Amino acid sequence: MDTQQDVRRKFVVPIGPQHPALKEPGHFEITVDGEIVTGATLRLGYVHRGIEKGVEQQNWAQAMYMLERICGICSHIHATAYALGVEALAGVQVPPRAQAIRVLVAELERVHSHLLWLGVAAHEGGFDTLFMYSWRDRELIMDVLEGLTGNRVNYSCNVLGGVKFDVDDQQADAIRRAIDLLEPRTEHYLKVVTTDQTLIGRTRNVGKMTTEQAERLGAVGPTARASGVTRDIRVESPYSAYPDFPVRAITATAGDLEAKFIVRLQELFESYRLIREILDKLPTGPLTVRVKPRLPPGETVSRVEAPRGELFYYLRSAGGVGPDRVKVRTPSLCNWGSVLATAPGHKLADVPMLIAGIDPCFSCNDRLVTIRRRHDSDTWTWARLRQYGIEYYR
Amino acid sequence: MDAQQNLATAESLLQPFTVGAATHAPGRLDAVIRPQDLTAAVRALIDARWGYLAAITGLDHPWPKPPKVAPASGDSAQPAPGPVEDRLEALYQFVNGATVATLRVSVPYHDTKLPTICPIIPSATLYERELQEMFGFVIEGTPDPGRLLLPDDWPDGVYPLRKAFGGFGA
Repeated sequence: MDTQQDVRRKFVVPIGPQHPALKEPGHFEITVDGEIVTGATLRLGYVHRGIEKGVEQQNWAQAMYMLERICGICSHIHATAYALGVEALAGVQVPPRAQAIRVLVAELERVHSHLLWLGVAAHEGGFDTLFMYSWRDRELIMDVLEGLTGNRVNYSCNVLGGVKFDVDDQQADAIRRAIDLLEPRTEHYLKVVTTDQTLIGRTRNVGKMTTEQAERLGAVGPTARASGVTRDIRVESPYSAYPDFPVRAITATAGDLEAKFIVRLQELFESYRLIREILDKLPTGPLTVRVKPRLPPGETVSRVEAPRGELFYYLRSAGGVGPDRVKVRTPSLCNWGSVLATAPGHKLADVPMLIAGIDPCFSCNDRLVTIRRRHDSDTWTWARLRQYGIEYYR
Repeated sequence: MDAQQNLATAESLLQPFTVGAATHAPGRLDAVIRPQDLTAAVRALIDARWGYLAAITGLDHPWPKPPKVAPASGDSAQPAPGPVEDRLEALYQFVNGATVATLRVSVPYHDTKLPTICPIIPSATLYERELQEMFGFVIEGTPDPGRLLLPDDWPDGVYPLRKAFGGFGA
């Protein structure tokens, strides 16, 4: 128990509560001693929609559309993880062309997601020029995705047993043109985040997570890879077309925010290479294979590499026309722990960047922050906390 | 990185605690564990640095659909399933490279206690909180028993991922 004196000294800064784009909106309570963070706790679920329960009332095909809406940024990878599981339960083999198109869309999704993150992370640090540039460039990919699928988000590319659309030569050329434009720009951004002194001042040695910590905390994706943990499901357990189109896991050793920038930007080059390779070597053949509406009883685990890390699906069939249980473990859930563990010892002004560092799908930046003191309370918006961080480092 | 070898290692690590094992797909190992052996089994995997905890999945098996537990090895001392009753099951899914080892523990509705594994894997707290509020497991010793996902005014004793829960409407 705290003594009276401790309580007076300890301020709790609740950050959150919610942003409706993602399954894991977070409410952090940051305990501060002056400017220094001494502890952090987490409360989730403000927009918990009960999708896991909801899909138990759907048939196998309907459930995919519901699961695809878990995340508006990495929707395709959710549908892919689910479709892979259903196809494993059904015992069908998806044709190679469909597998390649799935991976093509997944990599396009990764590119738009990483560019989105670059903008958000820059914005939280007050580098709005970088934010504007990266989001302008991201539009190239959004246009490509819209041209391919008809949708900017929730592309609805998958069906159980394949994909919905083909990629013709004209579309392939449009994708190549977009990638050709993006590659030199990404090189420029990589140069900026590793040489710009004001940016480095906010990222180098901030939020350092060692390899041991990353492993112990169960971090995944770029968050783990920036700490030297080679966890990439595309490499460790290749799925869909990745056995035919292998990728290289990008890692860094520093474990700080700068390393997270570097890893994500370098992953973009790997995605560009892969996208070109798939377009050049797209297998021929059909796009779908039939999946019966009723699946045999059984259970399966499917794992895919979402832009934020390992996405884990557990599917259980009781022999019916719909799932008996679907468990979804999104990568952000694993990575929250790394924020909680690395925040203590940092300045309150670093918190917006620390949270943005794990890429928790910020879409709604105007969030409520309350500074709670013992007898009074002062309400901050997320914008005010962000501004506080920028002013602090001015 | 050989998947077969990985699974063989996991199988031998878990062997002292396993009351039933199955491999129902390539690269997958399911080991049925008694609740009292859970922490020891998790400790065995972690001490040998066998992968990481990817998820804990809760399952509800209301009667008459008991969990498919592999038959115990004969002697009557096994406390395993026995009579058909409403049960909850928790799957502790560990991932190592391309392989997944699942520890399956099952408890009856009237005694849903499981030990916490947070002293071994601190990040399990989120999954344990989820098991408690979604299925009504009682995780003994879990560091933060508070609500994680459900609203603050959610009624006590209502577990939304149990099959019996169909919403608050009529």
